[in-house]
Amino acid sequence: MGKKDKLSGEKSRNASSDYRQIFHEVSLKHASRRRITDKIISILAIVCVIGAIIPLGSILLEVIKNGAAVISIQFLTQPPGSIGSDSGGIGPAIQGTLITVGLASLIGAPIGILSGIYLSEFAPTGSGKGVKERAISFFANTIRLFNDVLTGLPSIVIGIVGYVTIVLAINSFSVWAGAFALSIIMIPIISRVTEETLKLVPNSLREAGYSLGISKSKITLFIVLKYAKDGVLTGVILAVARIAGETAPLIMTILGTSLFFTGLTGPVDALPLKIWRLASQPYESAHAFGWGAALVLILIILILSASIRIIAHGKGIRVRTGTI
Amino acid sequence: MPRLLDLGLDRIRNIITDMARLSESSVFSALEAYESESNAKKHIFEQSEKLRTLQDEVTDLAIELIARYQPVATDLRFIKSCMEIAYGYSRFGRYSYDIVDVLETLGPLSGCNKHAVSEMAITVRKMILLSVNALESRDKTAAPDLYQMDDTVDTLYRKYLRELVSNLSKNSSDEPRCYISNLLILRYLERISDHACYVGDSVYYIITGSSSPRR
Amino acid sequence: MSSSSNEEVTSYSPGWSNVDVNKMLAPATTQASIKLSIQSVNAWFGKKHAVKNVSLDVKENSVTAFIGPSGCGKTTLLRCINRMHEMTPNARSDGKVILDGFDIYDKSTDSAMIKRRIGMVFQKPNPFPTMSIHDNVAAGLKLNGVRDKKLIRDVVEQSLVSAALWEEVKNDLDKPGMGLSGGQQQRLCLARALAMQPEILLMDEPTSALDPIASSKIEELVQQLKEHLTIIIVTHNMQQAARVSEYTAFMYLGELIEYDQTKDIFKNPHKELTEKYISGRFG
Repeated sequence: MGKKDKLSGEKSRNASSDYRQIFHEVSLKHASRRRITDKIISILAIVCVIGAIIPLGSILLEVIKNGAAVISIQFLTQPPGSIGSDSGGIGPAIQGTLITVGLASLIGAPIGILSGIYLSEFAPTGSGKGVKERAISFFANTIRLFNDVLTGLPSIVIGIVGYVTIVLAINSFSVWAGAFALSIIMIPIISRVTEETLKLVPNSLREAGYSLGISKSKITLFIVLKYAKDGVLTGVILAVARIAGETAPLIMTILGTSLFFTGLTGPVDALPLKIWRLASQPYESAHAFGWGAALVLILIILILSASIRIIAHGKGIRVRTGTI
Repeated sequence: MPRLLDLGLDRIRNIITDMARLSESSVFSALEAYESESNAKKHIFEQSEKLRTLQDEVTDLAIELIARYQPVATDLRFIKSCMEIAYGYSRFGRYSYDIVDVLETLGPLSGCNKHAVSEMAITVRKMILLSVNALESRDKTAAPDLYQMDDTVDTLYRKYLRELVSNLSKNSSDEPRCYISNLLILRYLERISDHACYVGDSVYYIITGSSSPRR
Repeated sequence: MSSSSNEEVTSYSPGWSNVDVNKMLAPATTQASIKLSIQSVNAWFGKKHAVKNVSLDVKENSVTAFIGPSGCGKTTLLRCINRMHEMTPNARSDGKVILDGFDIYDKSTDSAMIKRRIGMVFQKPNPFPTMSIHDNVAAGLKLNGVRDKKLIRDVVEQSLVSAALWEEVKNDLDKPGMGLSGGQQQRLCLARALAMQPEILLMDEPTSALDPIASSKIEELVQQLKEHLTIIIVTHNMQQAARVSEYTAFMYLGELIEYDQTKDIFKNPHKELTEKYISGRFG
């Protein structure tokens, strides 16, 4: 530590205090401009948020305003009366929605979740060199590609697929067809969300499991999935909420009817379908019923979301908004 | 890029070097004072005290380095050996003082036969130089050489003792102060040679990590 | 240099009354049998040759430390011992690891069973976040098919006692595992590994994420545990290796440079590279 170091030390000390001086002056110069810019951008952001909420809010208000008047026990439980009349209700539509969506979830959720588990745990995009590893990798990437394509597929096309596969096969419009079509919409959503959520599980948990000599499937089910269950559940809720409002696939598959549920192989009504049909009729009463049905649909989805969150909260699961 | 430990080790090395020169000059001054009957007591006493102070400094520094830097291997052996060597050098200083103290206490010895002391002093001088240089040159062959010379010193000592006993029984009119002073000084020289051997051992330990085979 | 005294050293503090201090200070005798024999083990990550032809024997009931600068392969070697290395994508290894006379890399061996005999504690404490303290410790047992509830409860208690955590959590066994402090979590992971009654315990830098007090607790535990287990600990803290182990293996760039009793390595190493590393002149 000779004289030389002392000198250069002093030099650098001087340089840094010079820089400090310069930076200080520069920051003072722009201080007020910065504050104003800050305020402007905050106000802009708030305005945008309000702008985004307004359409949503106005829709809700409109639906509530127009639909509330029509709601009654009769409305909710009775089959529709003759076309154009005041009497009757949308009972079958509500029932149909619940049944179709329920069945679709029973089919779609397990397949979606298992597919997501496979993609995340058993076929990661590692660059394995072996032939077997390459084949699995290729297979998994293909599945992911299909998932992404399916999520973007227009739902009317899915409806046509349902029509061709099931309706023509059993020769009648049916609940099966509707549930099938809706589940096709659900599966890629749930699969994607499950895969992404599972990938977020820290690898240290899996390693801990392996180091205890636990088999991979048990680790996946009891450790990884348990950790990720809130994310997976969110994916399922999102998918259910999405299909509850789908109309196009239902047109070709369940047909819609004025009757209550007659069997899985028969046609059934559904709320989105009913709303569309009611809205296309020229009668005032039909339009009023349409608003009522819309209100009922929105309420069902809200209750579904809320109840799942309440149940999940009760079990200590936090439900986050999903990744898609 | 020197480690923090290296700064401390250098300091220990410097103190030991100082102690080496000081103790060497101390012993030689004492021997000279004996041979020429000069009064060097105060001077040598100061040197001996200085050596004691330096030895304490070495020990304190060694402990501090161990506590702060957890040295291992060669560094650790070096520190341990330096503590032993510092003690050895401080002993040289102490025995030098003892030698001139004999002169002062027993009065003028110009009439005595100083032959035995002179003879032993030759070997002891060599041993001191060898031990002082061994550390600086990291000479691990110093230890066995020093032990050989120590054997010579021990032989001389015993020879004088036997001579003394036989002379005393034969001729009781000889000056007792001569015998006593010779005996004491030879004793001190013999102890100095022992410590020189220990210094050689410590140097051997730094280099090889094992204790000298002679011990 | 005086040799170490052979007299009995009596315990000097109440907390240590159940530890045989003599066993603690003296290394496992050379007559102790070899528990684990690592023979010509190589390991690769893709093209990178991370462990190069390492062979060493681990004595039973001893603590062996692997030391070396970052990237020298000590953690990789550790993970080869319980066959965790091959679970990383793109990783492979060869060579033999003989446990009690039987090669764990033999084709007929079930890799999961090896992991039940050779436990592992990781660098960052990783208790299962969705489980309570009790369930964490019992996880290995339950998920491996043990059903007897009373047996599980007894093993959980015994493991938490061995990990010096029982007194702190015995009234809170149902609380979540993540609610504990860092040092407690690491002891929880230790209890979880011990619950499987392993014969060998591998510890991968177990105290690097902990504060000094928690670290020293873990080091004390290692001394107590070695009476029943064989422990191998990877550490980048040389003083820890010096404190805790009886045998030390120094690795550099994938090769085993020196393997000897700890006291000899730290007083008088044979290889100059070892001396440079432990004296802090590189790495």
